[in-house]
Amino acid sequence: MEIGLNHLLGVSALLLIIGLMGVICRRNIIMILLGLEIMLAAGNLAFVAFARANGNLAGQIMVFFVMIVAAAEVTVGLAIAVVLARKIRSVNADEMRQLKW
Amino acid sequence: MNPGFVIPTGWSALLPELALTGLIGLILIGDVLLKEEAGKILSGIAVAGLAAVGFLVAAQWDQPARTVLAGMFRMDMLAVFFKGIFTIAALTTVLIARQTPALIRRGLGEFYLLILTATLGMFLTASAGNLLMLFVALEMITISFYVMVSYHQEERSLEAGLKYLVLGSIASGLFLYGLAFLFGTTGTADLTEMAAVIQGGLTESPMLVLGLFLVLSSILFKSACVPFQLWAPDVYQGAPTPAVAFLSVGSKAAGFVVALRLLIELLLPLGGVWIPVVVFLSGATILAGNLGAIPQSNIKRLFGYSTIGHGGYLLIGIAAGSFLGTQAILFYLAAYAFTNLAAFLVITAFSKTTGSDEIRDYAGLSRRSPFLAAMFFLALLSLAGVPPLAGFFGKFLLILSAVDAGHGVLAGIGAIAVVISLYYYLMIVKTMYADEPADPSPVPVPTTLRIMLWICAAGMLGLGLIQKPLVNWAAAAAQTLF
Repeated sequence: MEIGLNHLLGVSALLLIIGLMGVICRRNIIMILLGLEIMLAAGNLAFVAFARANGNLAGQIMVFFVMIVAAAEVTVGLAIAVVLARKIRSVNADEMRQLKW
Repeated sequence: MNPGFVIPTGWSALLPELALTGLIGLILIGDVLLKEEAGKILSGIAVAGLAAVGFLVAAQWDQPARTVLAGMFRMDMLAVFFKGIFTIAALTTVLIARQTPALIRRGLGEFYLLILTATLGMFLTASAGNLLMLFVALEMITISFYVMVSYHQEERSLEAGLKYLVLGSIASGLFLYGLAFLFGTTGTADLTEMAAVIQGGLTESPMLVLGLFLVLSSILFKSACVPFQLWAPDVYQGAPTPAVAFLSVGSKAAGFVVALRLLIELLLPLGGVWIPVVVFLSGATILAGNLGAIPQSNIKRLFGYSTIGHGGYLLIGIAAGSFLGTQAILFYLAAYAFTNLAAFLVITAFSKTTGSDEIRDYAGLSRRSPFLAAMFFLALLSLAGVPPLAGFFGKFLLILSAVDAGHGVLAGIGAIAVVISLYYYLMIVKTMYADEPADPSPVPVPTTLRIMLWICAAGMLGLGLIQKPLVNWAAAAAQTLF
């Protein structure tokens, strides 16, 4: 069976949903950051798939920049998690309850 | 001589960005080299540099639009208009940061650096001509803000920073996924070419509609609109005041420049799909922001809700999907910049002396500092939209554009919400003027803040009384989209 655009888009949609569920359902900050990375990976896969289908390399180039952005994002996220873990001795998102409406 | 490296012509379009990049390098090195007194010297450099950037931006006004760097960067009137707003916001934020004691303890150099990188991201967002540039520039803004929001490194600030990071990254993930679908259906990443493809009749593709809604949800997050508004009050309360001031003016304007570029310039042929959704969300945002603000007791949290309400008003202009709506958004954003920055200047001056952001501590401010109380009164009236201040005329233009586009109900909600907002804004005024102060000692106002407050007051009154020049400028900028 030839693997076509629809298969790749199906996998990327699955990745997006897995990432989103990870962010929403997990309480561990590290796991939430992982979920965010998976969401960006889903976007990358969709870009590569479309670039191949359209014969336009712009989508492939985009992926390199997105990877750098994702690295920067998770670096800041981990830095905040580390400082917060020193303060509240936990990486559980439920322990954060200073701000409430 | 071998002409090995030739500077391409047309790079003059990039002058403000290049100057800003140089300024960032200068602050970065300066922060490492200067140990003592770094804050004072660096704030001088940052203010002077931003003023120079402001002149370079102003010099680009009325120049013909052009595209450089293989379509990555577009210099047009709309971009220049927004860059003007960003520069004013960044300049004021630098001055506010200098008067925030908690930041001075942590070191100001890095904070200036973050303000400037966020500003550069905003400049590039306004000028982005390619999906790649748009995404990277937007991330440049948000990642700088993640650090700024958690800069205090105390529990509340960190919690606000982490919340903003997690929700902001979800929005970025959805945005990227939406961009992939825009790229896939049109077959190009260049925004100008993409607009041509979509105008050529590509309006029925379901994948394009999916991409549109993913992009829309991310824009709603960036500008704190329903249903992605919940982060705003938490982040506003927990973050350092200068970060909040910049977030409320700069980040919101950046969200709306993306909305104008993508929804109005690119996807207006699909208006039948998204305009009804935006009309509904606009009304919901106005009500959510203004009703949520009523029970608040913390001034920064109240502004978190009030900023949601203003985002809803700005969405009216997007929902109108017309030249009039775009012009109204531009006018409103400029008026909102002066007004909201004035409010945050007062909040900064007040908390510098008293260390408090609670509304009940503002009791008797009219006796402790008549100047601060009067300025806050003026800013709150302008935010509510009372004539003859700038905020009134902005709201008037937006509601006019809604009526013109046939959204009568939305115009009605906008008008009713003015009354709701008057209630909670005037409650603060009542606290300041009618209540007895617990501690009658005077509140001093630092000279820089006093000067900035006079400038903002002049902006609020000037734009309200003599609207003609700004309306013409906004029209010239809006012309680039139509």
